[in-house]
Amino acid sequence: MIEFKNVTKTYPDGTTALRGVTFSVEEGELLTVVGPSGCGKTTTMKMINRLIKPTEGSIFIHNKNIKEFNIHELRWNIGYVLQQIALFPHMTIEENIAIVPELKKWKKKDISSRIDELMNMVGLEPETYRKRKPDELSGGQQQRIGVIRALAADPDIILMDEPFSALDPISREKLQQDIRELQRKIKKTIVFVTHDMDEALALGDRVCLMKEGEIVQVDTPQNMVLEPKNEFVKEFIGNRKSPWQSAVDVIADRSGSRVITEEEFERRKFDSYGAYIMEDATGNYVSGVKQAEKVDLPVLENDLPLKKAADIFEQHGEELLPVVKGQQLIGTLSYREIVLHLKQHVSTENGVIRS
Amino acid sequence: MKEFLDVLERRQDVLWPTIWEHLQISIVALVIATLISLPLGLILTRNQRIAEPIIGLTAILQTIPSLAVLAFLIPFFGIGQTPAIIALTAYGLLPILRNTYTGIKEVDPALKEAATGMGMSSFRRLSRVELPLAMPVIMAGIRTSMVLIVGTTTIAALIGAGGLGDIILLGLDRGGDLNLILLGAIPAALLAIILDLILRMFERTSAKSGFRSLVSLLVIAALIAVGPLAFGGGTKSDIKIGAKLGAEPSILINMYKLMIEEETDLSVELVPNLGKTDVVFSALQEGSIDIYPEFTGTALVSLLNQEAESTDEREVYQSAAEGLAREYSLAYLEPMQYNNTYAIATTQEFADQYDLETIADLKPIEDQVTAGFTLEFNDREDGYQGIKQLYNLEFGEVRTMDAGLREGAIEKGEVDIIDAYSTDSYVEGLNLKVLEDNENLFPPYQGAPLLRQETLDKYPELEEILNQLGGKITGDQMREMNYKVEEEDVDPEEVAREFLEAEGLL
Repeated sequence: MIEFKNVTKTYPDGTTALRGVTFSVEEGELLTVVGPSGCGKTTTMKMINRLIKPTEGSIFIHNKNIKEFNIHELRWNIGYVLQQIALFPHMTIEENIAIVPELKKWKKKDISSRIDELMNMVGLEPETYRKRKPDELSGGQQQRIGVIRALAADPDIILMDEPFSALDPISREKLQQDIRELQRKIKKTIVFVTHDMDEALALGDRVCLMKEGEIVQVDTPQNMVLEPKNEFVKEFIGNRKSPWQSAVDVIADRSGSRVITEEEFERRKFDSYGAYIMEDATGNYVSGVKQAEKVDLPVLENDLPLKKAADIFEQHGEELLPVVKGQQLIGTLSYREIVLHLKQHVSTENGVIRS
Repeated sequence: MKEFLDVLERRQDVLWPTIWEHLQISIVALVIATLISLPLGLILTRNQRIAEPIIGLTAILQTIPSLAVLAFLIPFFGIGQTPAIIALTAYGLLPILRNTYTGIKEVDPALKEAATGMGMSSFRRLSRVELPLAMPVIMAGIRTSMVLIVGTTTIAALIGAGGLGDIILLGLDRGGDLNLILLGAIPAALLAIILDLILRMFERTSAKSGFRSLVSLLVIAALIAVGPLAFGGGTKSDIKIGAKLGAEPSILINMYKLMIEEETDLSVELVPNLGKTDVVFSALQEGSIDIYPEFTGTALVSLLNQEAESTDEREVYQSAAEGLAREYSLAYLEPMQYNNTYAIATTQEFADQYDLETIADLKPIEDQVTAGFTLEFNDREDGYQGIKQLYNLEFGEVRTMDAGLREGAIEKGEVDIIDAYSTDSYVEGLNLKVLEDNENLFPPYQGAPLLRQETLDKYPELEEILNQLGGKITGDQMREMNYKVEEEDVDPEEVAREFLEAEGLL
């Protein structure tokens, strides 16, 4: 859908903002671009709607070089959400939303019904809000309008430049949820720039991590966490990684206190009221043991994220599950370990718990 | 207050046309300034590299004194409303240009980027986003400009543009007649306030409709501007007679007009109160006027830059007439009898205290003397510069002031001596002592009509008509007529007619 080929940006003063950037965004994918400030993430994004011209290299949309598009038509088909929200203060909400449809010469009636549809979609009653000026809305409401203004003319691509960074934490979380739902419903190709790794991991189908004008790693959130390409990635993800993203082998109890061998099972050398995991002589998983009876249990692959593991616990109503790598039993996981792990990874800030 | 109301009542008939004229000149200048500055400001926001030099240029225009701009324009555009409007326009440029440029430039860059990123063209971005947002700043610039222009228009009266400045100048010339000055100044201030209110109203609506309200404002202004020029323009006259600021020149040109119209079918237009010698002389050279009365001494010393070798009236006239014909192809007709020369005057008490009879008597007390001179006298070879050389005098302090203000200054004792014209009515009124010019510094100053040779060739009969005044009008007669106009507020035309009838010239 969107393809960067060896894109470099050098400014007249000699500073290089981007160095040979190559990556692609799939149709319907939400790609988050993340990195420390000055890494070139915003530059990369603004090249897609030609707000910034590459010095070298090319960018393609649907396999057509973006230089070959009429610049205005190209932009009409790329929604743009800004960090500063940037609703036009002298226009009403409906006028703001209508801008691109008007530029595209939509019929008045179509524009009007589109405005109603979009406002309802983000939960802002059209009757109440259509005629208001932006400054009569809260920050969160304003950015919701900012998002639907970008969606108004039904573009194929939406660019979001740190859209939620100016908002308070509550509005921010609400809007992140909205975007996730929206993405599920409308399946647009979205390029979402953020400096917040949590946001990047939480929202992105894939995450593109940049540093000093170069791409370090483009990967799914899971892989980013589990298989960081280098120290920089690891460090950048660092503590900001949600404990729910942790792989189960990190959390698993490896002391073996809840593991019995087949031999021990035969000889009844365990507390018959407890729950255990049984392994064979080579250390392979055999089955679970409950009230001295063998039971079949679902196994947790070692790289399964905690969130998914929790789902399995919930579905099966079990309290103790084996963690395996291949056949090999590498540990056990119970609610106890999960709670301990979460507790360790939750930091508090001013007495407020941050996830 | 009662006096003011009297003045108001007496001049009511001229007040309304004058206000209208003032309004028209101001608005035409404001509209042109807006039409130039606003688009220019918008263009500059798209070419920022040349912005500062161009704004700097308009700032320079602003620093040139308004009177200098007006004087500078006369050789190119003559006198009247055209040069006045050009000068006022130049004055109005800077505030509008700077505010337009700044207003657009200061629009939040995020909003500009949003507009661009959404695919607005440069023009659409300007008209839909930047202009509406910058409108309050731009309107503030237009309002500043308007106040500047309405105020400066009063000065335009000096080059015959008319307007409320006519009344103010008249007041200044009549020894600082406060009531007359107020009669001109108050309506000028009210005009500025009312226009400001109107612009403010438009500013509020412009916040909503942006471009459109500005355009409608310009249309309304343009309608006023081209609307009835009834009071200003009118029929084209055959001969235009100009005059410097003052009662005496006004009386003289009325005599010229009455005599010419009595004996020919030519139509004559009068352009009185054209400031000082340089303005009216430039206007004559440029051809905006055909005739004006000039003093023989001034013609020789100021216009021809010659020293008066003799103080003989005839000789001075002869050499002035020859010089003017040679250098400027102007015809200088027969002078009148009275000699309105410069004089150094002081109060009777001051003269008694220091035993003053002649100018030379001032030598022992030169350091203590405070002199009140006109700017022109202060700078002339036959004025203070000559006094310094010929009498070797250097006064302790010289205050320069407008001619009309000298009588008040000496009456209040703010200055000890003044330069006076011998026909000035107040010399007698205040019982001033005229110090004798014992070294004969001041050449004779006899009034005589100065014409363009072209005009005389076209209407040769003018020579005979105007020469009828040659040798007429004594100093006493002139002083008496000046007194009637200045102190009794009689119309100069009436005074002129009375005299001509008494002399049997009508």
